[in-house]
Amino acid sequence: MSGRLDNFRATFQDRMEGLILLCMGGFMAGLALSRQYWNFLNPKFSPLTLGAGCVICVCGLALLLRPEPGRGTVGRLLRQAAVLAFLCLAATAWEHTARELPPDASFTGPRGLSAPAEPGAAGVNGASEPVGPQAPEPPRVTRDGVEYVRLNLAELYIMLDRGRKDYPAHFVLRANLTRPSWLGGGTLVSRIAVVCCLADSLNLGFQAQGLDKIRDGKWVEIYGHLAPLDAAGRKKSKSAQPDERELSLRVVNPAQRIVAEHVEVIPTPDPPFLFEFREKEPFAGQ
Amino acid sequence: MDQSTFQIFASIVTSIVLEAAPFLLLGSFLSSLIAVFAGDKAFLRMAEKPLPVQIILGLAAGLVLPTCECGIVPVARRLLRKGVPAGAAVPFMLAGPVINPVSLAATWVAFQGDWRMVAWRAALVMIPAAALGWILAAGKTTELLRPTLEMAGDSGCACGCGHDHAHGHGQEHGNGRSVAARLFDVLRLTGREFLDMGRFLVFGSAAAALCKVLLPQAWLAPLSANLWLAVPAMLLLAVLMSICSEADAFVAASLSMFPRPALLAFLALGPMLDLKLLPAFLTVFRRRVAWLLICVPALIVYALCMSLGLVGAIR
Repeated sequence: MSGRLDNFRATFQDRMEGLILLCMGGFMAGLALSRQYWNFLNPKFSPLTLGAGCVICVCGLALLLRPEPGRGTVGRLLRQAAVLAFLCLAATAWEHTARELPPDASFTGPRGLSAPAEPGAAGVNGASEPVGPQAPEPPRVTRDGVEYVRLNLAELYIMLDRGRKDYPAHFVLRANLTRPSWLGGGTLVSRIAVVCCLADSLNLGFQAQGLDKIRDGKWVEIYGHLAPLDAAGRKKSKSAQPDERELSLRVVNPAQRIVAEHVEVIPTPDPPFLFEFREKEPFAGQ
Repeated sequence: MDQSTFQIFASIVTSIVLEAAPFLLLGSFLSSLIAVFAGDKAFLRMAEKPLPVQIILGLAAGLVLPTCECGIVPVARRLLRKGVPAGAAVPFMLAGPVINPVSLAATWVAFQGDWRMVAWRAALVMIPAAALGWILAAGKTTELLRPTLEMAGDSGCACGCGHDHAHGHGQEHGNGRSVAARLFDVLRLTGREFLDMGRFLVFGSAAAALCKVLLPQAWLAPLSANLWLAVPAMLLLAVLMSICSEADAFVAASLSMFPRPALLAFLALGPMLDLKLLPAFLTVFRRRVAWLLICVPALIVYALCMSLGLVGAIR
C-alpha cells in the first residue's frame, strides 16, 4: 500500500500534466465541433484544431497512463498554472459567445444564412425577405433591368485596395450600417473579415450614400455601384476609428464610396464575419 | 477593465492560443522525434562544416520546413541540445517562420503577386538571421541555453525528458528500447514540451490581447504619413500584435496607408520577435543571448527598411 502511494506521489506531476493536457485537448476538440468556433477562428481551421486537440488528448493519456517519476518544481507549477488559467479564460469566452448566440441559429458555412429574422426587419422598398436557409444564391441578380454581381464587402475592398479596375460596375453585397461620430453623421457600411483568427480580423468599411432611411446598426443588402470620394470624404476615411468596443482594426476605403440604388434590411448574417474571399466570379459572397 | 472589455480580451487570448496551438504541437512533436530517434552524433558532423555552410544549411532547412514562430523555439532548443551548431540552428529559428513555402505564398497572395514584397521580406529576415548565426556561432550549447531551464521537471538531464533517471540517452530514449516504448516516449515528451512552451504562448497572447484592447487605433493614422515614424511604429505594432507569420501578410496588406518599407518592417520583424517569443527567448536562452535575439533583428530590420525607404528602392 505504501509502495503504491509512494509511486503515485512520485508520478503525480506527470499525471497532473496528463489531466491538464486532456482538458486542453478536449476543449480544443469540443470548440472545433461547436457552433461557436467561428467566434474565435476562421471555420476552415476547425479540422486543424480538432486534429490538434485529439493529438493533445493522446499525449495527455500517455502521461496519465504511463507516468514517470519526476519532481514538482516551480517551473512545472508555473506551466500547469498558465495552461489552467488559459482554460478558465477560454471557458469564459466560450460561455459568453454561447449565451449570445440565438438558440436556433446554426452555422452552415460562409454561404449559410440561417439566423432568425430580427424583430422589425423590413424592407425599405417594401421588398424585404429574409434570406432562405442555405438557399444557393445566384452569382448575379437582375433588378429593374440592371444586372448586379453578388460579392462580399471584403472582396470588393480587396479588389480596390489592389488597384484593380475590373470590379463589377453594379454589385449586391451585405453589410452592417452605422453612423460613427468621426464620419460627421455620414453613413458607413462595414463587415469584419477574418483571415485566421480574431487577432488578425479587420473591420473593412465604405462610406455610403442613399441609405438615409435605414436606422443605425441594421444589416442591409445593398444593390449599388461605386463613386469616387471627394477630398473631404477621403480625409474622413483616413480618420477612421474603431468603436468603443471594437475588437478589429478598422479601415475605410479612402477613395471610393458605395452609392445604393436599392436597399433591403436583412437579418443578421450567421455568422456575421466574413471568412472567404475570392479574386473573381463566382465570388464567395454572403 | 469592464466586463465587455474583459470578454473581448478573453476572446482574443483564446483565438490566438487556439490558432497557434497546432503549430506549437507540431514543433513539440518534431522536437520529441529528434530527441528520441536522432542519435547523439546525428548532427555532430554539421559542427565540423565551415560557418558559412552552417548558416546556409540553417536557412535551407527554413526554406523547406513549414514552421511558424509559435513552434520554432522548442525545435531550435532541441537541435542545439543535440549538437547542431548555433551557426545553423539560430538562422533556422529566426528565418524559418518567414522563408517557408506557406508563409511566402501567403505574402505573395496578400500583395497580389508582388514578387518584390516577397523577395524583400525574405531578404530582410535572412540577413539578421545569418548575422545572429554568425555572432552566436562561437558559443557552445551550454553558453547559449539557460542551464536552469526547467524544461520538464528539472531533472538536470539535457535530453529534456524531465525525469529522475540517470540514464544514457542511447539506452533510455534510443537504441535499446522497443519501437512502442519509444513512441510512448515521443508522446510523453510532446505533451511535456507542449505544456512547457504553452505557458509562453499563454503569457504572450494575454499581453498581445491587452495591447489590442487598450491601445487606441487612432495613433496609427498620423504615424503613417512620415517614414521616420512609420517604420518604428510598424516594428512596434508587429511585436505587440503577435500575429502568426502565416497570416500577418494579410493584415499588412490592409494597412495600405503605410509606406511599403514600413509594411516590410512589420512583416520581417513580427515572426522573429513578438510577445509570444519574448518570454520564450528570455527563458530558454541565457540572458545575453536572449537580448541579442531581441535587439539585433530589430535594429537590422529598422536600418534596412529605413534605407529602403530613403533610397526609394520600394514604394
